[in-house]
Amino acid sequence: MTRHLPAILFLLPLGLAICLPLIGIKHREWCRPLSIGVLAAMVPVSFANLVGVLQNGTIQYDFGGWAAPVGIEWVADGLASVMTVALSLVGLVCITFLSSVLFPYLGSRIVPFYTLVLLLIASLTGMVFAGDLFNLFVFLEVSALCAYALVGLAGGKALVAGFRYLILGTFGASLYLLGVGYLYAETGTLNMADLAQRVPSLVASKAFAVGVLFMFIGLGIKMALVPLHGWLPDAYTYAPDRVSPMLASLVTKVALYGWIRIMFWVLGAQAVVYQIRLLVLVGILGALAALVGAFLALSQVEIKRMFAYGGLSHIGLVLVGISLGNQTGFVGGVFYLLNDAVMQAGLFFWAGGIIHLYGVRNIEDLSRLHGGAGWMSVALVVLALSMIGIPPTGGFFGKWYIILGAVDSRNYLAIVSVLIATLLTLAYFIKLFERIFRDRSAPQPPLTREVPLAVRISLGATSVAVILLGVMSDHIIRFLLNTAVPPGL
Amino acid sequence: MFEMIGGWLQRPNYIAFVLLFLWGIYIMVTRYNLVKKLIGMYLMQTSVIFFLVTTSAKQGATVPILLSTTEIIQPEVYANPLPHVLTLTAIVVGVATLGVSLALADAIYKKYGSLDEEEILKRLE
Repeated sequence: MTRHLPAILFLLPLGLAICLPLIGIKHREWCRPLSIGVLAAMVPVSFANLVGVLQNGTIQYDFGGWAAPVGIEWVADGLASVMTVALSLVGLVCITFLSSVLFPYLGSRIVPFYTLVLLLIASLTGMVFAGDLFNLFVFLEVSALCAYALVGLAGGKALVAGFRYLILGTFGASLYLLGVGYLYAETGTLNMADLAQRVPSLVASKAFAVGVLFMFIGLGIKMALVPLHGWLPDAYTYAPDRVSPMLASLVTKVALYGWIRIMFWVLGAQAVVYQIRLLVLVGILGALAALVGAFLALSQVEIKRMFAYGGLSHIGLVLVGISLGNQTGFVGGVFYLLNDAVMQAGLFFWAGGIIHLYGVRNIEDLSRLHGGAGWMSVALVVLALSMIGIPPTGGFFGKWYIILGAVDSRNYLAIVSVLIATLLTLAYFIKLFERIFRDRSAPQPPLTREVPLAVRISLGATSVAVILLGVMSDHIIRFLLNTAVPPGL
Repeated sequence: MFEMIGGWLQRPNYIAFVLLFLWGIYIMVTRYNLVKKLIGMYLMQTSVIFFLVTTSAKQGATVPILLSTTEIIQPEVYANPLPHVLTLTAIVVGVATLGVSLALADAIYKKYGSLDEEEILKRLE
């Protein structure tokens, strides 16, 4: 039974996504409880899968009974199982938030809306488990199509942002597919494990180098790595406030996970292309992303846009962590990835909450929160502590292990970039706090409004989660070191 | 130099792929009309599909179907079927993308009354 858990985990949201349009014809009001129920059911299944993988080792799930490398295979190893646990937990909190009464009533559009959300979750699960480069492409595209549609749902400016996201995203996907084509032409296989065995004989091949380059540029566009991030700020700013937490916390992070998977499990940690170690290149790109993202966040006036740029810098930090070429750095990077998913979700919950509760979109209007929004302010403080990296939150320990790894490998560029990104993050959060707590020039009386239950739950859950991740970081890091470290590192 | 060009000319299908791919990108970048951008995008996607098919092309090859169970399998006489299967999936993905993108373009047209990107950006402000 435990063998089939990866497939069950995927089929739960997919099955409901297929049934929902039929159920929605008669019982529109069932969409919400059914979707939340399925996401809640994914949590124990993903935990059971994790326990099963820990006890019985990696599950290689062959579809249709065709063994890899001929058939399509899913691989549920330690890292993938940890990622699905995080995915289902964050997904559950996000779907609780997006079904809050705070947001405008969707009417008949509620059915396609929940269908898209469930398809998004299903395809992200598929991306995490995919053991085949082409399968990864298919799920990447399904998740991207859902994301385009969800961004465009808000209408108005979001349509243009969504269209730009679609053009750039499709360009990225085509490049990825082209890279997969090159690799297939060169090796005759698409299976990741099979490909990994053939990689050492290919280091001198030009086609291989170009294919890898195309794949990484494609994935770089999908995960908004800094020079290729043009679509992200607009898309996440104008996306409906109820879905931007889900997009920001899950979509780019899972694309980043795909990058890690290909980088370490297919190419290997020691991969060298044209005398350049790939990890060094990734480290430089990551440092650039960490600094540029944080720097741009500092200069924003819109709250959601600021958080979107903050997310860009955190993707850079994860890349810095995994590029250090030792286990501490890699595990620090992966731990930071998990933290970042939670923090981004929390920050966008907060931004969506204050837009709908108090009508505050820009930082200068934040003074209206002064004195009247205890719940929201406390949640923001906790999340900000983690974003900046102050103990005892998870963000601190992620950065701590990344820096430990950097000290181990004497990579001073990495240390400097992490520290400067931290300072810049501190700076843009101080900008927020100054408006909320110190600005007394507010002309209007402070606003007090009851915070809806779903917003309380989701903000509370993310705030508690970042503290829990920090308090339990020692266990989690040791656990990741035992289960999720790639071969050859 | 001449040998290199001569080598290229022996693979005209790859040259066609590169031209189509770059042409698609060129249209996507230079045209302001959203539908023309989509045409460029679709051309680019199709060129990648063309590339996948052309890697499996072989002169005088046949379909990979065994006519009897006793037949000796000779891989070199068959065309590789796998790229075709990938192509099928990639076409489906491309069609779905085109559908979503046309829906978005239609919604933009209804909202802003124009498909011209500059015009839309002007109205956004």
